[in-house]
Amino acid sequence: MLVQRLWLNDFRNYTSVELSLSDGVTAVVGDNGQGKTNLVEAIAWLARGSSFRGATADSMVRGGCDGAVIRAEVVDGQRTTLLEAELVASGRNRLQVNRNRVQRQSDFIGHVRATVFGPDDLVLVKGGPAERRRFLDDLLVDMQPSNHRLRSDLERILRQRNGLLRQAGGRATPEVLSTLDVWDAKLCEVGEELAARRVALLAELEPAAGDLVNLLSDGRSALNMAYESAWLEVGLAESLVGSRSDDLRRGTTTVGPHRDEVGLSVDGMPARSHASQGEQRSLAVALRLAGHGVVTSHTGSDPVIMLDDVFSELDPRRATSLISLLPDTQTVVTTAGDLPEGVVVDQRVHVHDGVVST
Amino acid sequence: MYADAVQKVIDELGRLPGIGPKSAQRLAFHMLKSPAEDAVRLTDAITDMKDRVRFCDRCFNISEEPLCLICSDARREPGLLCVVEEPRDIVALERTGGFRGRYHVLGGAISPIDGVGPDQLKVSELLGRMDAESVTEVILATNPNIEGEATAMYLARLLGPLGVEVTRIASGLPVGGDLEYADELTLGRALEGRRRLAGGPDSENGIR
Ligand SMILES: [Zn+2]
Repeated sequence: MLVQRLWLNDFRNYTSVELSLSDGVTAVVGDNGQGKTNLVEAIAWLARGSSFRGATADSMVRGGCDGAVIRAEVVDGQRTTLLEAELVASGRNRLQVNRNRVQRQSDFIGHVRATVFGPDDLVLVKGGPAERRRFLDDLLVDMQPSNHRLRSDLERILRQRNGLLRQAGGRATPEVLSTLDVWDAKLCEVGEELAARRVALLAELEPAAGDLVNLLSDGRSALNMAYESAWLEVGLAESLVGSRSDDLRRGTTTVGPHRDEVGLSVDGMPARSHASQGEQRSLAVALRLAGHGVVTSHTGSDPVIMLDDVFSELDPRRATSLISLLPDTQTVVTTAGDLPEGVVVDQRVHVHDGVVST
Repeated sequence: MYADAVQKVIDELGRLPGIGPKSAQRLAFHMLKSPAEDAVRLTDAITDMKDRVRFCDRCFNISEEPLCLICSDARREPGLLCVVEEPRDIVALERTGGFRGRYHVLGGAISPIDGVGPDQLKVSELLGRMDAESVTEVILATNPNIEGEATAMYLARLLGPLGVEVTRIASGLPVGGDLEYADELTLGRALEGRRRLAGGPDSENGIR
């Protein structure tokens, strides 16, 4: 799968960009704050239907404009697809595939897949459970676009259920209870399914990430990735019944897949607290690479690899290991300075103040 | 930035759904340049609509009379009700030409984050129609998104015990979207392929 051409209009600090991308390695060079990451964000948006930085549509639209346009020509085997997304500052985004309007986001996002390595990837290990849940859910969407709906449905149901709990103000009136029953049923439908998919994904990720950690660090260690859930054993329906009075009192949903965690441990010790910073970096890189591998094996082609300013954070030895482990596929590397040895650049793109030149 | 009168129009237009600040500005300047009678025609049309159009006493469709054209049409099949969120959904379903019963407009869907619960919708009015019109089947045609599905589930649980057959339009509609975006053929098929959620004769497996 290749992103051949990319056009941007009124996206972030870009007024208008037209860019052809090499099918090998493209280096995006420029000082900090010039818009390098914005290019990565635009491509990743096509893959996920959301910003990998967690930004709202509103903040991706250039100041004073109604909407931003991301357009890309994507080649997968013999097929060429034109993707167009108009991000609207307020309202519904407009999505087109080959000039045909699509209503479902999951019909749009399957065409581009992206693996993004970022400077903040350490949060995969050191950050809270939400970071690891997001990591799994992003991969699920890459593996199968229809998972996007499962994920957005879960978010929506939780927002609605929490909204109802807050309005109830701790009082369980018949009206509150009868609508709460409905949201519980919806939450079970979607939550059980999503958790089952996360568990299956984890079973694939664990051995792959374990091997990669050993290749990236010195010595051998055993990586363990465990899906930790307070409800999975008894089932969500029963757990929601058990936590209902608590939920009503606290005005929020205290049990469900949105509270689950992926426990990472190395040689039996929690990686978050017991691994060195260097080992944590190796682990974060291993997780990204393992995820890339799983997506590739499920979809039959490599996602675009984007390395956003990662080499500034890695010591030379780890950088070299990472480069040697990267698959030979379309890659975009952003950097403010020099790239480490071993990176063979096919195309160099300069970014300055929202202007791209080749 | 602009004369007060212009800014006021831009602000008002900008409050309309789907109109961003730039579009509002463009529309305002277009109106400024057009002949005065165009503006009068537009404002008259809006005022006239607000004066004359009301909601049907029975189904809450838009109407110019106490009862809407569909409710007062004697050829419509009695006992068959299709529940929708908004009057514009009736327009979409009528285009399919495949529905011969009457409608009930809820005025939205259950959505706690928007402050909408069953009490804010025409739910008790719907219940009241069951006996009054000897309803035998209720088709739930709320939108195929989270709120629409939750509303359908809520209504099915409410109507089922009354012995009414409750059905839901088939999936296959653009998921997460609105009925009004579906084309006639898809919507017609969704109506035809509806499945039973509650109530109705136990011996039957399907709908027809
Ligand atoms: Zn009526």
